[in-house]
Amino acid sequence: MLTRKFMIVAASALLATPAVAQLKVVTSTTDLADIAKEVGGNKVTVRHIGEGYQDPHFIEAKPSFVLQLRNADVWAYVGLELEAGWMPLLLDGARNPRIRAGGTGHVDVSRVIPLLDVPRGAVDRSQGDVHARGNPHYWLDPQNGRRIARLFKAKFTQLDPKNAAAYDANTKAFEAKLAAAERSWQSELAAIRGKPVVAWHTSWRYLANYTKMNIVGFMEPKPGVPPSPSHLAGLIQTMKRTGAKVIIMEPFYSRKTADLVASKTGAKVLVLPPSVGGERGITDYVQLMKSDIEKLAAAVR
Amino acid sequence: MRRTFIIIALALLPVSVNAQTPPQRDSAARADSIARADSIALVRELEAQQADTLGPRGQQGPINPRLLPDISVVGDFIADFSPKGSTQEGGQRFGVRELELAFQAAVDPYFRGDVFLGFTDEEGVAIEQAYLTATALPARLEARLGRFIMPVGKQITTHRHDLHTVEYPYVIQSFFGPEGLKGTGIYLSRVFAPLGFYQEIIGTVVDRFGESEDLVSFEAPNRRLSGLGYSARLRNYWDLGQSSNLELSFSGITGVREQPMSATIQDVNAINMRQSVIGADLTYRWRPLQRGLYKSLILQAEVMQQRNQRPPPFPPPFADPQDPPLEFLGPIGNFLGAYAFGRYQLTRRTYLGARYDFLEDPAADANTHAASGYFEVFPSEFSKLVAAYERFMPGGGAKALHRFILQATFALGPHKPHPF
Repeated sequence: MLTRKFMIVAASALLATPAVAQLKVVTSTTDLADIAKEVGGNKVTVRHIGEGYQDPHFIEAKPSFVLQLRNADVWAYVGLELEAGWMPLLLDGARNPRIRAGGTGHVDVSRVIPLLDVPRGAVDRSQGDVHARGNPHYWLDPQNGRRIARLFKAKFTQLDPKNAAAYDANTKAFEAKLAAAERSWQSELAAIRGKPVVAWHTSWRYLANYTKMNIVGFMEPKPGVPPSPSHLAGLIQTMKRTGAKVIIMEPFYSRKTADLVASKTGAKVLVLPPSVGGERGITDYVQLMKSDIEKLAAAVR
Repeated sequence: MRRTFIIIALALLPVSVNAQTPPQRDSAARADSIARADSIALVRELEAQQADTLGPRGQQGPINPRLLPDISVVGDFIADFSPKGSTQEGGQRFGVRELELAFQAAVDPYFRGDVFLGFTDEEGVAIEQAYLTATALPARLEARLGRFIMPVGKQITTHRHDLHTVEYPYVIQSFFGPEGLKGTGIYLSRVFAPLGFYQEIIGTVVDRFGESEDLVSFEAPNRRLSGLGYSARLRNYWDLGQSSNLELSFSGITGVREQPMSATIQDVNAINMRQSVIGADLTYRWRPLQRGLYKSLILQAEVMQQRNQRPPPFPPPFADPQDPPLEFLGPIGNFLGAYAFGRYQLTRRTYLGARYDFLEDPAADANTHAASGYFEVFPSEFSKLVAAYERFMPGGGAKALHRFILQATFALGPHKPHPF
């Protein structure tokens, strides 16, 4: 009798677990984390590895991240080798088959993104830190923000079908919020369209594609390669000729060289957060896009 | 220095920029400037080809349709300018210390395969590492089967060419060999966090502890299971904040090794003796997240003790009374070794490091000390140049030796992360 009672209690406990369990989602960046929170709502817990003010190429594979990943249901990452320098160590260390390549929770977000800067023909490292499969900084285009949200909706629904309706409603709400924000920054987009700018790294290509700003040069002579004097000399010429008056850069690069170029060209250096949390007060994806577009418009006006 | 260089270069620039340039020169200058700005040139080229945008990658073919493994090559070159002659093993002033060829891929849904072949002038080709890793074990276990780097201490788990110094610390070279320690057998590890911080326990069972180095004993050390090599390591890791962390780990290895005798009798020139090494290592890292491209610091220290079985009375039982008198030439007693190492990042591409070594030397019956400094330049993640100076103090009244070594390493192939 006692055994039977114990078995009923144990079975009830086991059955009750999935009803309260949330999907554990870990993402490589804060942007993916925020969109995952928007889509998952209170049905998921979300953590991220990199911070918004950190260069996502160079994150240390700290053992404490392994602890986050070992119980994760979903590992979502940017892909296109952005995380190649640290992700394999963390996934090996986590020993979690759900999130390994081929596992149900392994989500390479780049698979749903129309990519820019996909090299054709031979690619080698004489071209710098070139991403052989395309430019990975795609989240800086709201259209791709929508694609990411829809991918998360599909993945969360697959892993947790009983909350499909919630994921669907959350995704629609996120898209509506994004659409409203897009309507609000139309005048800023008009101000930015066609304006020549210089960027530090190729990370602003998707934002340029969305805003139609014209990147006339990069501070880096090749992706990931620090500027050389001869490159800067050519860049200054280009800026003077094209009238580029803004140098866009991320907060994790030293701005000394950008300030030097700005002083030679009369341009201003605009440090933009490339990710959620990249600047104090930028706490979600829509805020990030809005802030970047407004600052950009103010700078090029 | 770099900033000064840039300022000088830019100071020369306004003359040409401000001059009224004719249209042809103008156009040529623009073409020249575009050509220099390779990033933008690449982007423009892609735009011209209308090939810059691809649809979602699900619509494309597989990235690796032939299922080839990742192949990479690491080259390690040394130049030794020490004033009293080369201090390299082969006596070269310039040498290719090693070329390493690696093949890495998933074998199937259950295993990954890693093969590292080493090429050296002295040894030819050697299997440095070759192991299967079981990736789908329960209870968060990881198992390896094959030849692997023995996890006994901290720096030894790093490939020699990936070290922040030119050579392993003397305690590692003395206890395990100049190329570290490999073992062939089974490796099992488990990660856990019952106390709220990262812990990992690693155990190995290998065919033997170390290499035989042409020593032949009366019976193979691994004839009995107790003669195999056994190691264990416990890693403890704490985040001290977002920017800094600490690792304190403990290791031990034991096994039966051949130790040399003074003469060869019936093809036997060694006697089997148990040897064990125990150690502890401490690593502190600091790297601010936002400025992590430019600033970082590592402080590391490791202490090890080698414990040797007391040799039996000589002559050994297999010796004939008519044989020449035999002496035991292996290590007797217990010996301590340690090092402390620090490396500070000066700029995005340059680092300054220093190491102090201490070693009880059983052969010289004196303590060895060494102090060394390193200047590292990383032109990119895939190449490294090191200039090193070392003052080697062998003790026992011997003169100090000054060593000047330059090292260049490069890596071809896919980017592989370095162990943390």
